[in-house]
Amino acid sequence: MRCDLADRVALVTGAAGAIGSAIARRLAENGAAVVILDVDRDGAQAVAATLPDAMAVQADIRDPGATVAAVAATLARYGRLDILINNAGVNTFANRVTVDAFPVEEWERVTAIDLDGLFLMSRAALPPMLAAGRGGRIVNIASVVGLAAMRLQSAFVAAKAGVIHLTRSMALELGPQGILTNAIAPGSVVTDGTRKLFYGADGSFAGRAAEFMQHIPLGRPGMPAEIAEAALFLVSPAAGYVNGQVLAVDGGWTAGSNI
Amino acid sequence: MRDIEVDLSGRSFRLIGDTGPVATAIDAALTVNGATRGAGGEADLLIVMHDLLPTQKPVPPDDAVLSEAGEIVNAGGRIVFVLSVLAGVPARRHAAYSVTMAAAQARMRLLAMQLAPTVLVNAVGAGCIAEAGAVISGDAAMLGHVPLGRPGRIADIVNAVLFLCDPANTYTTGQTLHVDAGWSVGYARNF
Repeated sequence: MRCDLADRVALVTGAAGAIGSAIARRLAENGAAVVILDVDRDGAQAVAATLPDAMAVQADIRDPGATVAAVAATLARYGRLDILINNAGVNTFANRVTVDAFPVEEWERVTAIDLDGLFLMSRAALPPMLAAGRGGRIVNIASVVGLAAMRLQSAFVAAKAGVIHLTRSMALELGPQGILTNAIAPGSVVTDGTRKLFYGADGSFAGRAAEFMQHIPLGRPGMPAEIAEAALFLVSPAAGYVNGQVLAVDGGWTAGSNI
Repeated sequence: MRDIEVDLSGRSFRLIGDTGPVATAIDAALTVNGATRGAGGEADLLIVMHDLLPTQKPVPPDDAVLSEAGEIVNAGGRIVFVLSVLAGVPARRHAAYSVTMAAAQARMRLLAMQLAPTVLVNAVGAGCIAEAGAVISGDAAMLGHVPLGRPGRIADIVNAVLFLCDPANTYTTGQTLHVDAGWSVGYARNF
């Protein structure tokens, strides 16, 4: 799809990664200026260098002061903030254990980034968005595991369920001020992280991943561009009456049962 | 530029079911974006329109067409159901309608499972939509709980349909995108 995001300023967290950079690129292609926020400074700068109007900001969203500083840097450069994409997140691949043995430090690491960090970034971005009175859009990148639970990743599952319900709460609170909040729930997507575990660079798969893909109606993982397309719609002028929704982009994973 | 532009050139479409103002607007939007209305038979895009006003006896779309959707919709095609947000939030005063909508949504999800991976099947769930003061979807009683405090426009539904037909939107199937300003997500009032 195409739409007009000229004059809009977007901040994308985790924008050095596969999904974040795809979203940033898709927004830029439609005219938005984009702030590329990532904990990885070099990665953020590399992505920003490929876009026509972008600025890299290094920040750890677990740090409240860093989120406030990132928003201040955005306003200093562009004078406004219209769109927040809360994309930064981590999974807990290294600790495939049940709740009784789940390491406390790992629980805290995952929830601090995926849920607390998303709250802190939103809390930092909202005051100038509200004060400007132009409305705005927030898109939270959740996960299908926030809709349907999975085993052996309880911190990730709980954090993403938290993101989904926080999205609904934000939609109710901020809707009256014209700020629309929605979420995308990606299924399994080909990223740097999942490539190490599952997929080839082109999304090819074998072995354990092939078994997994038998449960996905479309029979393949998603690509970052497919998540970006949904994000573009949700921030576009076309979605002016869409609020509080959780759009699964999951190849039909949550559509029904294959039995 | 229009609010959303999708490249549907070379694609044919069929609309079945309700023929109200939303259907008329979808027909026009698909055409503006390059699709061609088919005369019947096979199509790339099948739009399944449901009556969006809660009536006592909702008229179901053409069941024969839905039963043969796998033969009618070409590989790589899309099916988009346009139904009411009441599919997921049954309304006390609209019993038969709510049940019919829930069944329609279940059928959409079922078709998504049956037709994957060749055809993507999704739905738009319309909230309270009004045009020129006339409610054409949902119930005006919903407005007291709508975070945006106003009804939607026909264009809001049309835009969501275009997104679900977007050739670049290729990993979403079996989903319902509610266009209701957040009416269905929780309690918009303070208690």
